Amino acid sequence: MKINEKQQISPLWQSYLPIVLVCAVAILLSYLIGQNRYIQRILILVLLWAAASSAFNIISGYGGQTVFGYMMFMGTGAYTTVLLFAFLGVSPWLGMWVGAILAVIVAFVIGFPTLRLRGAYFAVATVAFPLMTIPLLNYLGLEEVNIPFKRGISLMQFSDMRFYALIAAVFLAIILIIVRKMEHSHFGFSLRALKQNETAAEGMGINTHKIKLIAFMLSAALGAIIGTVYAFSILYVLTSHAIFGLFIIVRILSITIVGGMATIWGPFIGAAILVPIGEILNSQVGDRFPGVQDLIYGAALVIAIIYMPEGIWSKLSQAFHILAEKLIPKKLTLTAISIPTESPQLRSFDSFNLESIQFKTLEDIPYNPILKIKGVHKSFGGVNALTNVDIEVPTGKILGIIGPNGAGKTTLFNVINGYLTPEKGSLFFEDIDITHFKAHALCKLGIGRTYQTPQIFNTMTILENIIIGSFVKETQIAKAYAIAEKVSQQMGLSRRANDPAVGLSIWETKILELSRALATQPKLLLVDEPMAGLNPEEAHHIGVIIKAIAKSGITVIVIEHVVQSLVKIADRMVGLDEGRKIAEGTPDEVTSNPRIIEAYLGAKWRERYAKH
Amino acid sequence: MENLIQLVVAGILTGVSYGVLAAGLALIFGVMKIINFAHAAFAVLAMYLPTFWFLQWWGIDPFVSAFISLPIFFLLGYITQRFLVEKVLGTPEAETSTLIITMGFSLLIENMILVVWSGFPRLIIRPYSLATWNIHNILINQAQTYSLLISLILIIGLFLFLNKTIIGKAVQAAADDPEGCAYMGINLRFIYRLAFGLGIAITAAGGCLMATYRPFHPFFGETIIVILFASVVLGGMTSIAGALIGGLIIGLIQQLCSLLVPIALQNVAVFAVFVLCLYIRPYGILGKKGRMV
Repeated sequence: MKINEKQQISPLWQSYLPIVLVCAVAILLSYLIGQNRYIQRILILVLLWAAASSAFNIISGYGGQTVFGYMMFMGTGAYTTVLLFAFLGVSPWLGMWVGAILAVIVAFVIGFPTLRLRGAYFAVATVAFPLMTIPLLNYLGLEEVNIPFKRGISLMQFSDMRFYALIAAVFLAIILIIVRKMEHSHFGFSLRALKQNETAAEGMGINTHKIKLIAFMLSAALGAIIGTVYAFSILYVLTSHAIFGLFIIVRILSITIVGGMATIWGPFIGAAILVPIGEILNSQVGDRFPGVQDLIYGAALVIAIIYMPEGIWSKLSQAFHILAEKLIPKKLTLTAISIPTESPQLRSFDSFNLESIQFKTLEDIPYNPILKIKGVHKSFGGVNALTNVDIEVPTGKILGIIGPNGAGKTTLFNVINGYLTPEKGSLFFEDIDITHFKAHALCKLGIGRTYQTPQIFNTMTILENIIIGSFVKETQIAKAYAIAEKVSQQMGLSRRANDPAVGLSIWETKILELSRALATQPKLLLVDEPMAGLNPEEAHHIGVIIKAIAKSGITVIVIEHVVQSLVKIADRMVGLDEGRKIAEGTPDEVTSNPRIIEAYLGAKWRERYAKH
Repeated sequence: MENLIQLVVAGILTGVSYGVLAAGLALIFGVMKIINFAHAAFAVLAMYLPTFWFLQWWGIDPFVSAFISLPIFFLLGYITQRFLVEKVLGTPEAETSTLIITMGFSLLIENMILVVWSGFPRLIIRPYSLATWNIHNILINQAQTYSLLISLILIIGLFLFLNKTIIGKAVQAAADDPEGCAYMGINLRFIYRLAFGLGIAITAAGGCLMATYRPFHPFFGETIIVILFASVVLGGMTSIAGALIGGLIIGLIQQLCSLLVPIALQNVAVFAVFVLCLYIRPYGILGKKGRMV
């Protein structure tokens, strides 16, 4: 999954070759097995469950939205095709696409409202649909539908099981290629980002609801096709319980989790291990102990979640990497350069390149002021977080916002970048009314931000975090990669670019957030408490960086507690207290404003100040 | 008119039985903020053991079994929490992984029942099972009425426990502010095990009661789990009284909708109400809004 130089230049065949190979081996295996129906059946089941789980993996593994009602789509596909075939004589080859389209429609109807719900509620909400469908089908007299027995290639009915294995293998290959392609696309990155941190993803220009919905519909369409193949190759008699039942999702979940969620080979490995065990047990002792197969899936699921939540594939690839590193001496890369004796943080300062941050020049931005905030009100319950706030942000300048805790500073940022919508008042960005714009749209317009509490995508590398930012203006992965490389070089992060973004120092976290925001190529940058938690030297350097950013033509609004540091960099300042603007002007004017002194230090100090 | 009253009576009787089962679910959700998918499976297990087999082996009346099941299933719930749920609590994806793990566990319970006691549908036959009182032409099932009374006793008992005892208050405090509780020297792990045990115990008792008038099979849980979710969502997720009222509403909907739709589609109507609830009134279940960064 890691983006690195090698993958960038690797030709298509290199990433798709393993998929084609594995599926070709499966077809060959099926050909060699010949007429042994029992073993053919197991092979077909492995391929089908691997395919269904891979399709499920798109929304639930990569997207992190566990769809407990996934069988809804397999069932929609299977029932549509079989009913069209049985009653209207439509060929399954055609019917399966009708089923897939129907499944996409069903996915939209289910997903559009439910994808707003948080993880577990979404899971439970989706499970209601298949459970609702079963009694409905039974009522309509469709509890059991015989698939008419007419042989023929055009009717997807074969006496030779090898044809089914061929079909299943081809569809598995198609699904895996789609997943692989997705992994390295803008879409795949967005999906991973929103799985990690939906708030930050929205702030990085990702329309999370839309991306989730697309992934959901894609999973549904692929699931419907597999449902059809499953019905024709395995079931013969389609029953509502066999395709809409809860055991389907437990099998898919077991297979995906045992193999490895959000990995390309996880579902295949899981299916290759669990399906044969289940089938063999079922044929050996199934008559004495019905349900023994589902017992295996249930147990595998519980054990995997407790002892190996990352799955077999992740373990295997980890072990492989460790082995590979031992056997092959590591080539010199950017990250492998030995670090000099100085402290790494100082090295970061040194490598920061002030001159080259230059996305926009002042001439590009004719609007002045760039942002107008007019009479904005925002309250939470009974608390007025912002009351009648008017601010004009001059283009190309640094505006500092100060105020004590709870003054409404971060709320103001949340209103500006679209996380919150004000109850009254309006906002204009470059003369566009953005009052009701959402965060992802504002990011695309050119408002970037950093956060008070860091919102890093933890499972990604530093470079991948920045790439999420550069995708805002550039959808091609190679170009986005180049932008991210450039930003990370300018910001002094390139030495750690391929390290995972966990366990970073506070300095690195702040720099990473700034880099990610810069990669979105903003016109206006909101920086929330950049100096909090830094030592004085680091705070000074952040100040230098922010000044450099402003010099390059990006307007900056900075929230800060530490007034002294802000005075040094800000061109203008605004003071907030209890949600009201209490002061505005040059830094000197604001810091000598009695109301600011009162808000910060209490009334006693204001009097003392007045005497001097 | 008589028909309507009959349906309302039936609705209240079934509704309270759902309410008891949902109360356990709401208790667990309220304290730990996790959804126990295996909840209905525990109730079904209680229908087999103690209810059905204690009656078969020793002739113990199901209403006595309801009380016997309390300590047994408390222990079972405690152990489940200790060895399963606790393992995945506290991780970032705890909400989803507890749901998945309990789903896997419910499949284990159901298929275990299937393996040991076969999939044959069971029915408990006691003098009161099918007997009814006839009040002004309105038929009231005796087993359901006794169940209703015992259900109310159980709910009141749970209520008193949570509000009048120190441990009960600790459970409530843990639901409100787990971090604060930890600072106050409350052993959260113990409280969580206790809450899970209690939730399962009350559900098991509810299952015993339900078994007195409804036939059941190993996968009976799959038909009622969404009904329980619906009750809890209607009741505002965390409140036990809310779950009881939610169950009552669901029971009434289930019965009254037979005026409009065929009886086979009763549950479809309930699920539709559940989904509608999630769409229009998702209080407390929407993603966190407001001050998030």
